[in-house]
Amino acid sequence: MRNYADYQTQIEQLRSAAQYDFVAIALVEPAENQYVLKWKYGAGNLNDRFKKVVLKSGKGIAGIVYKTGKPLLIKNVSGFEDPTGLFNYPIVTFEKLRSIGAVPLWHNGRVAGVLLAGFRDTHKMTDEELELLWRAADKGIGNLNGKDLMLS
Amino acid sequence: MSANNDLKIDLMTKLFENSTEAIFFFDRDGKSISMNPAAEKIVDPAVRKQLREGADDAICKACRGYTSSTDLQTCLDCYLNSTKPTEFASFQVYLDTEGKGVIPYAATFHTIDPEQGIRVFMLRDLTPQFETQKKLHQNLMMKHVIEAQESERKRISRELHDSVAQELLSAVIELRALKYITASQEILNKTDETKMTLTRLLDDIRNLSVELRPAALDDFGLEAAFRSHFKRTEESFGITIEFKSDIEKRRYSNEIETVFYRVCQEAVLNAIKYAGVEEVNVYLFERDNAVQLIVRDEGEGFMMGMEPLGTGLGLYGMKERAELVDGHVGIFSQPTKGTTVHLRVPMGK
Repeated sequence: MRNYADYQTQIEQLRSAAQYDFVAIALVEPAENQYVLKWKYGAGNLNDRFKKVVLKSGKGIAGIVYKTGKPLLIKNVSGFEDPTGLFNYPIVTFEKLRSIGAVPLWHNGRVAGVLLAGFRDTHKMTDEELELLWRAADKGIGNLNGKDLMLS
Repeated sequence: MSANNDLKIDLMTKLFENSTEAIFFFDRDGKSISMNPAAEKIVDPAVRKQLREGADDAICKACRGYTSSTDLQTCLDCYLNSTKPTEFASFQVYLDTEGKGVIPYAATFHTIDPEQGIRVFMLRDLTPQFETQKKLHQNLMMKHVIEAQESERKRISRELHDSVAQELLSAVIELRALKYITASQEILNKTDETKMTLTRLLDDIRNLSVELRPAALDDFGLEAAFRSHFKRTEESFGITIEFKSDIEKRRYSNEIETVFYRVCQEAVLNAIKYAGVEEVNVYLFERDNAVQLIVRDEGEGFMMGMEPLGTGLGLYGMKERAELVDGHVGIFSQPTKGTTVHLRVPMGK
């Protein structure tokens, strides 16, 4: 497993390379913390509030990606859902994100984490951008080991 | 004697002129011979004219039938020419009135001059009484619905906590025992993964159970239930809730505690949804022989009476719940100045 500095450096690099406004990684905590899912690393963040949130499987961006194992693309946050429902996506509000892409990170055939990248302008996250993020996750951060599953 | 008689006539005239009860007089044939101002006021001008002129069946133009044991509105065996006049000492009748439509009246119809066959028809508007009854009935129903909802939630919550979660926990423990049985690292790695999934599932079930109805509310009271609720809210939404309480672990009736918990839950969720704030203040205290709760945010606020962003049922629900325990919810808000929700429930009846 990689250490803290490793993840942090990787997402910093990813952010400057792809010009994202914000990049974050959510990981499952170890047994002593009841295996909860939390945002552990962030680059380009406005504050650290998003790290406080305990993510629930199936809820929110990380929860959806974690549960389904599929990437999530929101080209425009305001068109994504009833705007009053945004309180269920705290990270979007906290970081003032307007378009978002998120992909799962695999480990031992299970989703072990979520990689999220976002822009503070609408329509900047596109299908092509998501593909790039997907590949970045596959090559670097996401290559925890279950590469075969990534392609299936 | 004559003075007494004069007084009687004077009083009767005043009663006729000023009574709020509508009074009609009919002769033997059902022709109207007189009516008081209150009666004139309720009938349609056209009908009023006919009644004044003593036209045949003029009252039928306004009357929409009386309530019998079989029908709500019927003309069968009409009171005007009934064979059993004693049955019409007190009954309910529907009249088409000017401006108010068809409304129910409590009526009495009896003969006051047997020789000339003069009968009096007196009416009292029943709508306010009906409305009071309807409200009473609604309140009662609402109370039952909320009670049923809470007890059902309690049942499911207990079931989840006591049986489903317990079974799951034993499964996790059994998985832990596996490491004493096999030395295969492969199997152990796999069971570790399973353990992880099960542990998270256990957590989800516990959360579900608490969300349905916190056992802490029944077992430890408002402060404990609030603290654990706020902790979970902070974890889910990343906001800070400043909670202050002066009630010193005092307990109240189950009904009151439920109202406080639900109103607070709704008010805090509203602040998270609509106020766009990072911090919400909650203050629970006793003053003026009443338990009081203030939920305050310094967020966006709204114009009172504005079209609601959500369903608008939340605020209504809070008020409904508060009324069930004779409480009152005050909501104060101004755009950009934040919102305050104040719940006040008197203690002891």
